[in-house]
Amino acid sequence: MKNSKKIFILTEGILAILAAATALAMLGESNGSRQKRVSVIIQDSDDSQWSAFKYGLRLAAEDLGIEMFVVSTSGQMSVQEEEELIQWEMDSGVDAMIVQPIPGEAGEQLMRNTADSVPLMLVGWADEGEPEFPVTGPDHYAMGKTLAQELLEDYGGDIGGKTLGIVSENEDAPALARRKQGFLDGIAGQDASVLWTVSEYGERAEYTLELQPEADFVIALDNGSLVSAGKASAEKNLHGALVYGIGNSAEAIYYVDFGSAECMVVPDEFNMGYQSLSEVAGSLAMFSGGMESRTVSHTVIRRENLFTEENQEILFTMSQ
Amino acid sequence: MIGKYFTHLRERKARGIQTTLVTAFSVISISIMLILGVVLYVRFSALSREEIIQSTQKMMEQTGESLEDYLISMRQISDAAYYNVIKENDLSAQSQEIQEGLNLLYEANRDSLRSIAVYNDSGSLMLAEPVAAQKEDPDVTRQDWFLQAMEEMENMHFSTPHIQNLFDDNTYRYYWVISLSRVVELTSGGNSRLGVLLVDMDYSSISRMLNQINTMNNGQYYYLCDSEGEIIYHRQQIQISDGIRSESSKTAAACKDGVYDEVFEGQRRKVLVNTISYTGWKLVGVIPYTAFTHGMINIRFFIILLMLLMGMMLVFINRVVSVRISRPILKLNHSVMEYEAGKKPEIYIGGSREIRYLGYSIRSSYEQIQELMRRILWEQNERRKSELDALQSQINPHFLYNTLDSITWMIEGGRNDEASYMITQLARFFRISLSGGRTIISVRDEVQHARSYMNIQKIRYKDTFSVAFDVAPEAESCCVVKLILQPLLENAINYGVSAMDDCGEIRVTGRLEEGNVILTVEDNGIGIPPEEAELLLTDDRRVHKKGSGVGLVNVNNRIQVLFGKAYGLSIESEPDEGTKIVIRIPAVPFTEENRERLEKGGFSGAVQTEKQEIQP
Repeated sequence: MKNSKKIFILTEGILAILAAATALAMLGESNGSRQKRVSVIIQDSDDSQWSAFKYGLRLAAEDLGIEMFVVSTSGQMSVQEEEELIQWEMDSGVDAMIVQPIPGEAGEQLMRNTADSVPLMLVGWADEGEPEFPVTGPDHYAMGKTLAQELLEDYGGDIGGKTLGIVSENEDAPALARRKQGFLDGIAGQDASVLWTVSEYGERAEYTLELQPEADFVIALDNGSLVSAGKASAEKNLHGALVYGIGNSAEAIYYVDFGSAECMVVPDEFNMGYQSLSEVAGSLAMFSGGMESRTVSHTVIRRENLFTEENQEILFTMSQ
Repeated sequence: MIGKYFTHLRERKARGIQTTLVTAFSVISISIMLILGVVLYVRFSALSREEIIQSTQKMMEQTGESLEDYLISMRQISDAAYYNVIKENDLSAQSQEIQEGLNLLYEANRDSLRSIAVYNDSGSLMLAEPVAAQKEDPDVTRQDWFLQAMEEMENMHFSTPHIQNLFDDNTYRYYWVISLSRVVELTSGGNSRLGVLLVDMDYSSISRMLNQINTMNNGQYYYLCDSEGEIIYHRQQIQISDGIRSESSKTAAACKDGVYDEVFEGQRRKVLVNTISYTGWKLVGVIPYTAFTHGMINIRFFIILLMLLMGMMLVFINRVVSVRISRPILKLNHSVMEYEAGKKPEIYIGGSREIRYLGYSIRSSYEQIQELMRRILWEQNERRKSELDALQSQINPHFLYNTLDSITWMIEGGRNDEASYMITQLARFFRISLSGGRTIISVRDEVQHARSYMNIQKIRYKDTFSVAFDVAPEAESCCVVKLILQPLLENAINYGVSAMDDCGEIRVTGRLEEGNVILTVEDNGIGIPPEEAELLLTDDRRVHKKGSGVGLVNVNNRIQVLFGKAYGLSIESEPDEGTKIVIRIPAVPFTEENRERLEKGGFSGAVQTEKQEIQP
């Protein structure tokens, strides 16, 4: 009798525990697990050069179920401004960050501090040798070298006696330094001289370019510089110099399309966005926190091949 | 080993009726519930799957209709531009009217149109709306839409999405369009020549339409491809181009309208194909099988929860029902067990008709058994009483004969006082011997009886021995079987002291010891050899040389008949030293109640009851 009662109470107890566990699981399923939040901090985030990158981020976020948002910034940030933004984002509880660092020792230190708190992926960055942080981006050195090869190709491999002007937004930026090094290595052995080097940002770059002495070629190492050089060329302010550059905006392509720039090396910014977020999402899902650097490809766009199927897709991502 | 196993099984089978009922009810009801739950779930899943497929088909039909409406409207624009504007007017003379007509059409549909343009057969721009600078040498003759139009002049052609490469609107932007091209007849200065009318539709109109239906987060999605499988819209179009993802658009394009099963990259999925009229485009819906179960997880949990709650309820109901059924049987069983243990004499009568009848039957059986036992007990008592009476009846005749003989001799010898004394002692002796027919008397009376006897014997033996009585008062008030000392005294005289010359001593003592009454009859006579002493209490066939013939066996038997085997006589004797006979009986206070109880065999009856209790 007593045993029967014990078994009855035990059975009812076990069933009640199972029912409670099922109800809790149901409740948990209804509420859904919280999406991982990833914050992206890039300089001048509304600039058209980031269109493909942001589109890649957006599609990756949709595919991977990540809550991603790009922090709105304008112009070039200082280290302090970037630090404030990072701190703000960390305070709001982000799970990981994708950041374009500010060049310089202070910027690198800020990245070290940030990496201690949250998983961190860098974009628009290049390290000498073994990277300290995981970086997603193109091979900047290779892009510079490709640009040099395209220039040489146009002149049958000989640009002897020609003069060059090199323009970039920030010559201290490691990525741009690597591009420049790649380009210079690409034309090494040619009897061409770098007549001038300009490092200016935005409209000032355009103005400064107009003031430079006449050169045969203007080599723009970044999108902003290419747009400035293209615009100056379109307005006939480059003293007839031919523009070659590295860029990643529809505006830069426009200058190639309309003959203001001869050739443009385009990094796959869409993939840079997609893969950087995929890498971050992968590390968040595995709880390992370990991320690896990813290198994306680059393409050469000229007026002749601008509307090929592949290049139309690059344009499509830049137009989003 | 096998035998042990089966024994174990048999032991396991012997479970309670309530457990059996609960187990049986629970197994049956839970099995039915599980089968029902699984069947319901399977049926619900099938219905849900059908529902998803049907709703997807409906959605595709609606979207297909919207797309068709949109494409028809584009065709209507093309028709209107051609038949109402271009064909009606001469390009050279009425270019203003044509421009106005195209402008009207463009303004009316600018939300979905990017541009309307007319090229001659050599690819030169004749007219365009909105008016914009043509790019330097766009070379339209190499563009797909131009080639397709010129290839099949009688048809209108829809291109796949592409970047418009025609105009420069100074916005540094590139537009993603779908081109509708057709060959038209251009009249200029009265001369006709062929040209191509191009209506560029804004791709965003189509992508917006399909984006609206691609909002499910269960893996289900829709895409649009042309009849060759070239993707026009896909939510992962870029990923597919970059090789991150892939799509079976070529397979879908080859299918007719309907629902298909396919395994793509190891994933089972349903593919629904709907063809868009005129263009041959295919609107494809993809439902991975995981989507069917996506929303089902909560349903599964709900069914499990429901089954658990039902299980709890069923177990409870089963217990209540089984308790109701088994309670009368258990009560009956319990009452029978208590009855058998002698705790509760009542047999339970209750429950259903059958169980009541069983109760009545068991009660009747027990009453009959009880009656039989009572009768057996009574018969046993009667038999014992008869035995006692028979034993007691052996005492008197011989002694009476000898005493009366002695009295006769006294009277004849003129010793009348002694005769009178002897008669008085004899009367007292017989008064106690009779005791109103009682078997149990007090130790005091028994000692008195022994005194009377010894007084008579002393006269008979002319005081050749002495007698001393030393009985503790607390022992005197206990019960004893009557006439147990007299045979011992008789033996002490006959075998102990009769042959001695004036130095024979007989000592009678009584005391309480550990709840027992110890009476001793001790003499300093010739004693008994040990081998003979052993036979005194066991061999009742021995020939008595002297005395009444009532031996120690008689006394011992009488004590044991009444008090049990634990009590009786013991003999301690040494030749030429004397003999000591010890009587051990329980110390029962002499009251009327105790006396009656002992005479009815109460003491031994009580002992028997205790033994029954001890026995399992």
